Amino acid sequence: MTESGAGSAAPAPEPEPAAAALNDAQIAAIVVAANQVDIDNGKLALEKSKNPEVKKFAERMVTDHTAVNKSAVDLVTKLKVTPEETDASKSLTSGGADKRAELEKLDGDAFDRAYVDNEVAYHEAVIGVLKTQLIPSASNQELKDALVGVQPAFDAHLQHAKAIQASLAGGGSDAHAQHK
Amino acid sequence: MRSLPLLFALALVPLGCGAKHEPQTHQVEIRGMQFVPAELTVSKGDTVVWTNKDVMPHTVTSEATSSVKFDSKSIDAKQQWSYTATTAGELAYVCTFHPTMHGKLVVR
Repeated sequence: MTESGAGSAAPAPEPEPAAAALNDAQIAAIVVAANQVDIDNGKLALEKSKNPEVKKFAERMVTDHTAVNKSAVDLVTKLKVTPEETDASKSLTSGGADKRAELEKLDGDAFDRAYVDNEVAYHEAVIGVLKTQLIPSASNQELKDALVGVQPAFDAHLQHAKAIQASLAGGGSDAHAQHK
Repeated sequence: MRSLPLLFALALVPLGCGAKHEPQTHQVEIRGMQFVPAELTVSKGDTVVWTNKDVMPHTVTSEATSSVKFDSKSIDAKQQWSYTATTAGELAYVCTFHPTMHGKLVVR
């Protein structure tokens, strides 16, 4: 459709549309995928690591992310919301599998460092997605509250991972890394 | 200072009063990876009940600096653990699963 008008400038290009807000079903699938990645990472670390601090952390990741997943699934079941996969959730899952394939090839200290470095980066990314996309997009208040409620756990995981990262970089098994 | 006579008088109250402290029960919530309240002052004989309102398990475990040792072991989501304070002192504690989580009981 063309319009002619004296002196009208060419219309400005349409701004890039903001990423469509996620619906609750899509949020649920992202949460489940994100937790499952870390559960699987943790299980791998429990198999491969010989470092007691790393194993303790990995066990915590498996327990906590399993608990968060159970609570998320219970909630969406109660809300009669069926998780709906999106590119985002699929990308989390496939990215997780790719990273685990890399970690599988490592052993000893190299494995420990790579696992923990990835846990730091991964938790930072997930916390970012939680804050900037999942929480703001959630429609159902209970779901929103649950997402807000779980953020401190991911923050604590990140702090714990960073503490282990620092102690591994220090070259020793410093079991008393400083915590804020 | 004007408050000195008053403080002096109040200091005598426990000696002359003789009222027995009835044991009380205090509540601490474990939520959002925190102990709420993080610091609690209680009297000897009081009971403290921790309720886990998070979705993942936590512990209430005395730190090395605590004057008394205690360990709840794993407290599952929605579960509670109680501790009766029998000794005065400062009881710092931590969640052994999540080392960023700290709390303190001050037992008078």
